[in-house]
Amino acid sequence: MKNIVSGFLLIMTITLITACNQQPKELPYLGNMAMVDGQEVHHTVGTIHHYNQDSILMTNADFKDVIYVADFFFTSCPSICPRVTKEMHKIYEAVKDNPMVRLVSFTIDPVRDTPERLKLYADNLGVDHNKWYFLTGDKEGTFELADTYFVTAYEDEEVPGGFDHSGKIILVDKTGHIRSYSEGTEPQSTPKIIEDIKILSDSYK
Amino acid sequence: MKWLFVILAFTIIISGCYDTPYMQGQRLYQAHCQNCHMEDGSGLKSLIKPLNSSAYLGDDAMVCIIRRGILDTIFNDKDFLPKEMPAFKKLSVVEMANLVNYINNKWQVDFKEKTILDIEAAVSQCDTADY
Ligand code: HEC
Repeated sequence: MKNIVSGFLLIMTITLITACNQQPKELPYLGNMAMVDGQEVHHTVGTIHHYNQDSILMTNADFKDVIYVADFFFTSCPSICPRVTKEMHKIYEAVKDNPMVRLVSFTIDPVRDTPERLKLYADNLGVDHNKWYFLTGDKEGTFELADTYFVTAYEDEEVPGGFDHSGKIILVDKTGHIRSYSEGTEPQSTPKIIEDIKILSDSYK
Repeated sequence: MKWLFVILAFTIIISGCYDTPYMQGQRLYQAHCQNCHMEDGSGLKSLIKPLNSSAYLGDDAMVCIIRRGILDTIFNDKDFLPKEMPAFKKLSVVEMANLVNYINNKWQVDFKEKTILDIEAAVSQCDTADY
């Protein structure tokens, strides 16, 4: 009898240990496959051609060695944006010591949100300008770009603030593929994306 | 003994329901304030002031802030950033009382309920005073 019990305990222990040692599973590629030059490729985000809060032009090439989370917002937004920004800030706090990770907030109101205004915004959030970029660019181009991040954004005079958009926070890998997302309006979904950032970051080690 | 247990359970359930005595105030907060001031009243860094540590907790002047809204502006040498809080003029006196009591009850250290009369006085003072 005693042998059976200890045998059972041994098996339990082994199972537990192997379960703990399991490699974290690879993050999925989100979105539909596309055909590029006759090759099937994963969905890729669109063209970034935007100025950051220090008036420096940033393009997709600036993101080829980093992974980042992105959201779409505007500084005078009276609705969900501050809540999404709050969750972005939690992510910022969690990842700011990881040199591979960036945060990117695209404004969908580029007429009012000049680089200078975005600088004021970033300064008053108290964040590192080299870690968290606030980007402004062509309005239509930004709406189209949002679409490739699975975020809807459009002008609508009927809604408070004049723009309607969703509050998703999107995780993008070094090759521009979307690997995870969270809802910026649901604080309980933030720990999961922080975890996913770590999984993605570790996959490049 | 059995009855005692039933009564106890019942009391616990009931008191759970009345966790927030200002249900309407909570709903108004969620609908009109939470997007900016957050569920925990923490605000957003220097962009949106926190309510959970505000000097206006318990102060009748809070009524006027809610009624009039705020238009503050941050500057640097190149541009400005408006810090805006909309005016909530349409709240009735009862709604205002429930909202203010909800906020105070949640975050004020020595909470004391505002009466409808307190709120009425604060509203009329706000609407006549010119500042
Ligand atoms: C669009 C965002 C927004 C909304 C919605 C909003 N506020 Fe505000 N609120 C602000 C900002 C920004 C400030 C700080 C302004 C400043 O810096 O002077 C503020 C300041 C305040 C203050 C003063 C705090 C202090 O200590 O100085 C109170 C009280 C307040 N809000 C209550 C409310 C209540 C109650 C509601 C809901 C009925 C509400 N706010 C809705 C943005 C908002």
